Amino acid sequence: MKPSIASLYQAVELQQEIPPLLIGERANATGSKKFRELLLADDYQACLKIALEQEAKGAHVIDLCTAYAGRNETVDMTTMVGLCAGALKAPLMIDSTTPEVIEACLRLYPGRAIVNSINLEDGGVNIRRICKAAKKYGAAVVALTIDEKGMALTAADKLRIARNIHAIAVDECGLRTSDLLFDSLTFTVGSGDATLRDAAMQTLEGIRRIKAELPGCLAVLGVSNISFGLQPQARRLLNSVFLHEAVAAGLDAAIIDAAKIVPLASIAQEDREMCLDLLYNRQVVDGKEPLMRFIDHFSGKAGEAADQGPQEPTGTPEEQLFAKVLSGDKDDLDDLLAMLRERIKPVAIINQILVPAMRHVGELFGKGEILLPFVLQSAEVMKAAVTLLEPFMDRAEGDNRATSILLATVQGDVHDIGKNLVDIILSNNGYVVHNIGIKVPAETVIEKAKEYQVDMIGLSGLLVKSAIVMQESLPQYKEAGLDIPILLGGAALTPKFVAESCAPGYSGPVVYCADAFAGLKAVREHEEGRLQSTTYDPLTAVKPMKPGVRHLTVDRSNPVPLPPFIGQRYVEEIDPALFLPLINTQALFRGRWGYRRGKMGAEAYRELVLGTVQPIYQELLHRSVADGWLQARVSYGYFSCHAEENSVIVRADGQEYPFFFPRQSEPPHLCIADYFKSAGEGGDIAGFFIVTIGARIGEETTRLYRDNAYHDYLMLHGFSVEATDALAEYWHGVMREELGIAGDQSKDPVGAITQEYQGSRYGFGYPACPDLGAHRPLFDFLKPEAIGISLTENMQMVPEQTTSAIVAHHPQAKYFAV
Amino acid sequence: MTSPKHTRYICANCGYIYDPAAGDPMNSISSGTSFETLPEEWVCPMCYASQDQFDVYDEE
Repeated sequence: MKPSIASLYQAVELQQEIPPLLIGERANATGSKKFRELLLADDYQACLKIALEQEAKGAHVIDLCTAYAGRNETVDMTTMVGLCAGALKAPLMIDSTTPEVIEACLRLYPGRAIVNSINLEDGGVNIRRICKAAKKYGAAVVALTIDEKGMALTAADKLRIARNIHAIAVDECGLRTSDLLFDSLTFTVGSGDATLRDAAMQTLEGIRRIKAELPGCLAVLGVSNISFGLQPQARRLLNSVFLHEAVAAGLDAAIIDAAKIVPLASIAQEDREMCLDLLYNRQVVDGKEPLMRFIDHFSGKAGEAADQGPQEPTGTPEEQLFAKVLSGDKDDLDDLLAMLRERIKPVAIINQILVPAMRHVGELFGKGEILLPFVLQSAEVMKAAVTLLEPFMDRAEGDNRATSILLATVQGDVHDIGKNLVDIILSNNGYVVHNIGIKVPAETVIEKAKEYQVDMIGLSGLLVKSAIVMQESLPQYKEAGLDIPILLGGAALTPKFVAESCAPGYSGPVVYCADAFAGLKAVREHEEGRLQSTTYDPLTAVKPMKPGVRHLTVDRSNPVPLPPFIGQRYVEEIDPALFLPLINTQALFRGRWGYRRGKMGAEAYRELVLGTVQPIYQELLHRSVADGWLQARVSYGYFSCHAEENSVIVRADGQEYPFFFPRQSEPPHLCIADYFKSAGEGGDIAGFFIVTIGARIGEETTRLYRDNAYHDYLMLHGFSVEATDALAEYWHGVMREELGIAGDQSKDPVGAITQEYQGSRYGFGYPACPDLGAHRPLFDFLKPEAIGISLTENMQMVPEQTTSAIVAHHPQAKYFAV
Repeated sequence: MTSPKHTRYICANCGYIYDPAAGDPMNSISSGTSFETLPEEWVCPMCYASQDQFDVYDEE
């Protein structure tokens, strides 16, 4: 079992999927002036609120410390532990050095707490008493690397003391190694003290060595100590960069103000380098000391933290809140809302400020003046604000009969990014959304629509098949007696299809929605009583042109290359460095992420890409490798085959597997089978592959969505899609090499887009071979189950970030659509 | 500043770049055709995205 702690309500793993475990540091009489003043005024409820606020801001565990001269620590701590135990979902960290206090708190606390902390300062007296209490009540323990000689400065001393503590806590008192969180101690690098110049490096090295020498133990740090003495804005950046380095060194948990962490991606490269110079004491030839350079660098920047750092707030609190939604800025939202609540009811704050702000954001998006990722950041502010207001709202106030919408991805389809974006936009515009998930059969949609008495239904699906599912299920909705509007969205839908093939099957309006904002528009039109089914006028409609040449003869004289083997093979542990450079960044930035140039000037767009988009991309590249999100695996092979009209008959494992491919109905009437020789022409060789980057990245993506990190959710999802395609592109290159048809193939990703190489890969489910049913025979002979890939009943591959293709070596093989 | 006639456009969906200097001869679009004067039904030759999926693309 994974080492965990628990409150009355939930268990929390000490090793988070995305480290670190965040331990809120504000409920601390020593560290927080505000908390201390409330405690001194005996205002325990207000003290509890500080703990609750940190939980709302993302802290996984709350550190509680009431030790202060003149106070009765036992009374304060047991009172607060009692209050926190009932009110906090996050488990507690009992922060005290007094064994009596710790024992009293552990006896009282109804979950599994962490004790902060033990050390060897007194030569080993208190540590034994505290560890025995921890053993008795089942607590985890933070151990500081301090002994009679004082706080350990060097990595070697940190390790030595950790070993001594381990001997007492584990061998003597019976704790498990995984109950121990070693704190290697953080010292400021901002004091100018010559003995502390390498303090950050010693701490990071301490983490690495302790975790290597005492396997199973955990590492914790009080991160913000690193920057004592520096000015506040610079501190936030330095703390964030140091936290990132510490996690890379193996840190599991951080005692930190969760709200003050700046995402690495939003720290300018220049600022980040300056922080790293200071942390690693990097000298510049003929330059000043890193600390002096750091201070100089940030002194000119007072007030602006990261790119869009907090400026001096201007305007009324109402205007400030409106501006925060617009700029996607969550900082100090709680203070601002507290100020507003003194005068305005929470429900009015939502309806009169937040909803109009989101509406304005939607309008700007509609005009092409802001981009999707920024809209999502605004939605995050909206969500955070509503979450902070909810405790102050009456139940009746929240339920003000807002229009409600049921959302589902249709039966047989696992894709949920489109549906979830609609959910984000609608729910953060004040509507009630029931998002009932993926692969939902029509019967369930109908049942839930009736149960929740929704006003509208939204159906989503990416696959060509899903468009058909929608069309075929509409009569079912009609028969069930429904006539509320149904919104349809998905990549394979067109206004024509919705108007001509879907709308006639249903009694109410059926509306095509190109994106989440079209969905929002439809909901508004419904409220205004003027929503109508999508119509299609064939006279004014643009007929998409089928690309492709009009006349083409497929050459029959091309040689058949000699494959290195016949049959199937697995390849695992493919180094991401091999395929990540092939990511199509244009498609990622503009298509998946929505960083379109729109109305921006060339210079402004370049600044956006360099200042915002590239840092996000670089961070994802870094994290995906550092955190092991990519488990690239391939099953592939070469097989004898021959073409028979529109089919390619593949021989594998002594059996024949026919693959049928559709033929274009218009000139030049191409079909994939044309690129393979018939039996009469001597037969041919076909390549196949299934590649995956594994399930881990999908789990991360789901977690981000669940945590309302809308922006990061969109970023990671898009990244995972393009990383999978990059792996497919890379593997196609490997196969061209093996077949000896690589020539001087371009390593340039743009060359890959325009297929400037011999041969082609055709993905199953894509335009030239849309039939996912081909996965059945493909799975029979590529056997990808062994590398963790399975097939759903609807022939989709799981994990989602998996792709398959048939590889044709014919020099004329290029993409075309049927 | 390049004149609009020579401005290249990029497909936001797949990254294909339409260059007026090259046109799209595979689809009977002759060299010298500006993006603005492409026939309405012209779509991205790589991924079939429609023209509203294209962004102005210039490196200078």
